[in-house]
Amino acid sequence: MRGLSSLERVILESIGMESLTYDEVQAQSGLQENVCFNILQALIIRGILKCSGNKYKINENISPLMMEEINGLEARKAESLEIMEAVLEQNTDKIFRFQKVAMDSRDEKIFKAMLSNLESFLKDAHKKAQSSVPLKNRQVVFWGMGEVQSLMNQVMTGR
Amino acid sequence: MSLQNKTVQRYRLFFPKETLRESSGRTGIQITRIFRLFNGKPMKVEELEAFEKAINEKMAENPNFSRLNYVMEEAAALLTNEELGKIADYMERRVTNKKFARTYIRPLFQDASIA
Repeated sequence: MRGLSSLERVILESIGMESLTYDEVQAQSGLQENVCFNILQALIIRGILKCSGNKYKINENISPLMMEEINGLEARKAESLEIMEAVLEQNTDKIFRFQKVAMDSRDEKIFKAMLSNLESFLKDAHKKAQSSVPLKNRQVVFWGMGEVQSLMNQVMTGR
Repeated sequence: MSLQNKTVQRYRLFFPKETLRESSGRTGIQITRIFRLFNGKPMKVEELEAFEKAINEKMAENPNFSRLNYVMEEAAALLTNEELGKIADYMERRVTNKKFARTYIRPLFQDASIA
């Protein structure tokens, strides 16, 4: 598989720049014990994580090729799709809206400005709470828009 | 990889937690013979067929599998290399995540044990 699975990414983001024990990684990520263990082993085998004593740390000497594989555009796209699919299939507390909206150019500008406000609100909220809210309790938020015709052309050509 | 190795590997993929005794019961091949086959002894045609039959029976339990096979053949004929790559990536991700969720990841072939 190219890139990272969203499960692997959660583990890496849980560890961040720190050195964490297995229990700390599990508490941050919220993954089941066996899943957490399997992923940590897989990441060590791939050379992305290092284990010293009982602590896990991200390898500082990841090759540029591996970095590209992990953070490349295609890999990130596939990872986002994985999470979006999970949001769509969520059974409880699901928030998801999908609509084809008729907007004149003025309303489109207003909407984009609102999105920009939303983005700065989220940035501030994250900055305020990132030290107190563990990764497992953070919210996944996504949005996007596109013109129907061009999207349909993309669907048709598969690009 | 030889056809025999492929078949045994596929068998172990479909029945990852099966003991040699269970494999013997499923295929009708003697337990000591199963052990030897899992360790690379050459297979007779009827033994290969017994493994294939067990795999096919397992696959038949999931009706969507034949649908998937049919769609994959059509996809191979119609879609571009790039589109096929996206589908392969998607499937690989689903499989990888499923493997992570297993109690443990057991390498194929290396751990056949007599029950």
